[in-house]
Amino acid sequence: MRKAQYAMVIDSAKCIDCKACVVSCKVANGTPEGFSRNWIKASEPDFAAGAKPRTHFQPGACMHCEAPTCVDACPTGATYKNADGIVMIDETLCIGCGNCIPACPYGARFRNPQKRTADKCNYCPERRAAGLLPACVDTCPTKARVFGDIMNPESDAARLLEQHKDHVVQVINQKSNTAPHMYYLASTAPVGWTHEAVMPASMATMTGVVDPVVKTLVGLSGLGVLVMLGRQLLSGHDSSHDSSHDSGPDVHTGSDVQAGQAHKQQTDKE
Amino acid sequence: MKLSRRSFFKATGLAAAASLSGGTVLGGLAPQACAAVAAPEWESHFSACDMCFNKCGLVARVQQGRVVKLDPNPKFSKSRGMLCARGNAGVAQLYDPDRLKYPLLRAGKRGEGKWKRIPWDEALAMTAEKMQEIRTKYTPCGYLFSAGADMQSAFVSRFAEVFGSFNVTSHESLCLISNNRAYLDTFGEVPFADVINSKYVLMVGANRFEALVTPDSMDLMTAMREKGCKLVVLDPRYTKTAALADEWHPIRPGTDMAFMLAVINVIISEKLYDAEWMAEKTFGLDQLAGHVSQYTPAWAAAECGIPADDIVRIAREMAAAAPQSMIYPGRRTSDYEDSTQIRRSFAIANALLANWDRPGGLLAARAVGLKGVPYDPPWYDDNPPDRVDAGLVPMMFEHEGSFVLTRDAVLKGEPYPLKGWFVYKTNPMATAPNRAKTIAMAEQMDFSVVVDIAMTDTAHMADLVLPAPSYLERLDPASGLQGSSACACVVVRDPVVNALYESRPVFDILKDVAGRLDLGEYFDFTIEEYRTRQFAELPDAMEALRRDGVYYNPSKVYGLYEGKAHKTLSQKIELFNQRYADMGLDPMPVYTAPAKVPNNQFRLVVGRNAYFTHGSTQNNALLHELMPENTLWLHPDAAQTLGIADGELVEVASSVGRGELKASLTKGIRTDTVYMLTGFGAISPGLTRIHNVGASISALLDDKVDAISGNAALHTTFVTVTRKVAS
Repeated sequence: MRKAQYAMVIDSAKCIDCKACVVSCKVANGTPEGFSRNWIKASEPDFAAGAKPRTHFQPGACMHCEAPTCVDACPTGATYKNADGIVMIDETLCIGCGNCIPACPYGARFRNPQKRTADKCNYCPERRAAGLLPACVDTCPTKARVFGDIMNPESDAARLLEQHKDHVVQVINQKSNTAPHMYYLASTAPVGWTHEAVMPASMATMTGVVDPVVKTLVGLSGLGVLVMLGRQLLSGHDSSHDSSHDSGPDVHTGSDVQAGQAHKQQTDKE
Repeated sequence: MKLSRRSFFKATGLAAAASLSGGTVLGGLAPQACAAVAAPEWESHFSACDMCFNKCGLVARVQQGRVVKLDPNPKFSKSRGMLCARGNAGVAQLYDPDRLKYPLLRAGKRGEGKWKRIPWDEALAMTAEKMQEIRTKYTPCGYLFSAGADMQSAFVSRFAEVFGSFNVTSHESLCLISNNRAYLDTFGEVPFADVINSKYVLMVGANRFEALVTPDSMDLMTAMREKGCKLVVLDPRYTKTAALADEWHPIRPGTDMAFMLAVINVIISEKLYDAEWMAEKTFGLDQLAGHVSQYTPAWAAAECGIPADDIVRIAREMAAAAPQSMIYPGRRTSDYEDSTQIRRSFAIANALLANWDRPGGLLAARAVGLKGVPYDPPWYDDNPPDRVDAGLVPMMFEHEGSFVLTRDAVLKGEPYPLKGWFVYKTNPMATAPNRAKTIAMAEQMDFSVVVDIAMTDTAHMADLVLPAPSYLERLDPASGLQGSSACACVVVRDPVVNALYESRPVFDILKDVAGRLDLGEYFDFTIEEYRTRQFAELPDAMEALRRDGVYYNPSKVYGLYEGKAHKTLSQKIELFNQRYADMGLDPMPVYTAPAKVPNNQFRLVVGRNAYFTHGSTQNNALLHELMPENTLWLHPDAAQTLGIADGELVEVASSVGRGELKASLTKGIRTDTVYMLTGFGAISPGLTRIHNVGASISALLDDKVDAISGNAALHTTFVTVTRKVAS
């Protein structure tokens, strides 16, 4: 059973685009030059709008999705969703094939040229083991990012979600609703920057299929997937994708922002 | 996407390994095992950041003698427990391959970039000998001392004074002294803005969401997002502060005073002020009322380009929110030749909001409790009577001077020659306007020594360059800070790692040279002993600093002026400044329209972002990655006339210099104005990432000064912009 779902609840209206989170993350994780595990995106100001062109800054990173397409795309099981709900990369299993990179609708993954493996946000497990917050959250000047276990009602993140439950949005791609566990308070922008998950050819048929048995059979066509199967059998719980695909299509709002009740449906059923 | 052959073999190899070693590997595959991550084996040490002047409390994580991460000190309330991009990038400063490693003596022509490594003893002996030579030949005042904002800079001033030189310049006359002057001459002191309790902030000539000031930057967002504070920004440029504001008005540069005089006009003519408070606390309301009657909103609208209705509305909104409303005082106010008077108009408008010494308004300095460490400097009979820039402007700050006016004096050799220069951690080659003059100034020197961590452009022009340790390697004296209503506190710095290379702190350098010049008695202490004397009246401070990394003095925040006189001639808040009147200066701000932008030219404005401090962090590897070069902001309409496309290389030329950089087309700048970021276009090859990258503001800006304070005027320059044809 899932023990927890760590998530980030972000008040992007508080973000001043100072990039403290970006630099803090880079130092904490030794991310090589030219790459970053997190970002701040900016909306286009409307200079025709008189005294209010306004730019909205939107902090982001891996959204540790409920239905992570990257996990589906990984042939070795190196990418998996752990018991804390965190999408992890087991570097000892990652073969650096790169399949997961286009499979992420958010561009949250990159190939680390030093490690020769896939790389992305993992919510700083070493720091959390030391009792610290993830590097980006700890350093944020305006405390726009709030991190915690949203299955634990006592956590700041869960409280914030509960407090704003009627007006929380997620950024999703309509064609690849991964049910992300990154929640923005009230509203956020920009929203049109995601892309449809591009799945590796050998597993393309998997993505739309709900029945896990069918998935496994298709998966067996690739050698690496044997390991993924092994993981699922040995670990004794479903760590990947079945639980939420069914909730996806119901909650589209017609744009790339998914509002309100969506996350509730997804998290309630854990 | 298909597996490549190489990846396929890697995959099969992995699977084979898994099948061979059975249980262990399979166990290792279990997610639970992967999730059990160990905490890092690091030691944590408190320090205070030095990537800008804010001195944010931090925790350095040190692993095997190496700083691996800098985190905010959560107990440091002045910064609201944050560390910005620069603070996080401190690691890259510490381990920058561009750092100076040992003393370097100029081996070629000045500025040629040829150096010879010499031992410390030779470097120090040479420094003492050359200083003595210049002192003998030109009097002690023949030596100039320039130090940036640093916890050891007080030792440079101390050394200068006991050496006998009045000539000390700081960064301040390139920055904020016109604002300080204006508030001193209105309220009798320079206030702290209680942003977090404000309901209405009018920000003019300030950019607090990019040029971060603690706690104001954080508090502004908290006030806006959690307490409903309204933010109105006047700026010719669409800064991130403007981007996040409730209103942005792209005011015509140089007309802030017109706007503010009209605001004052509205508040007075509509009687929107607290008459009782004004009568009790202020001096000169009647004169002010008469003076501003000419400055109507309709008149101001024609000057500043903001509609009269908006001016009236903003004045009324501020008055309605008073006393929890403010015109934010700002910091870098080195803008125009009448910047002190411009900022006086802001200060006077604040007085009319009755926000002095009250929640959400402007706060007086609080008691921190650190003791000074006094000394009795020797007297030198042969010295000239005063600083080299004395008397050139009427209200100079004696201990800051005016860098621009001092430089002019050096170039003229009048009133007396300055032939030596000691520079610590400041880089006027990058920050002072008219770089050609700074180069000429450096060439005037018989002997100049620069102490810094990298080969800055100023170091590049020196005779001797001495390597300093970064803040993470240093023991520093205590420093008292006020964080508005957040705190009055004390920070110290202990080394978190050993000093790298042959670097030595400026204190050690000065102490050694003082000894060689028979001035050892003025440096007969260690920094630990110095701190002990600073803490004489704060018995609990050292323990608090060890425990929390910060000491808080629980001093009073509001109402400090109940029953207390202001430090002005009238002992009240001076709307009408009597001293100015006595000196023949305008006792109330009189508007002069800025020079008209000539045809086919633009006014050049400069500014900051959250990654760079003056000219000091652009070469930092982590920050450079965020912004590898500066660009010229140009309005698309202006660009079209000039035939310039976005991203094209342009030449920018002023009356004093030129530069080349790429154009960024944006409607976030007025059509008559261009903007570029500070700190690029370095001439020093020792700054490997920014050497000849982008253009330098200091090369382009002309060197006018504020007529009252001597602060540099950085927004008086007109430039032409031309598309560079690819050769």
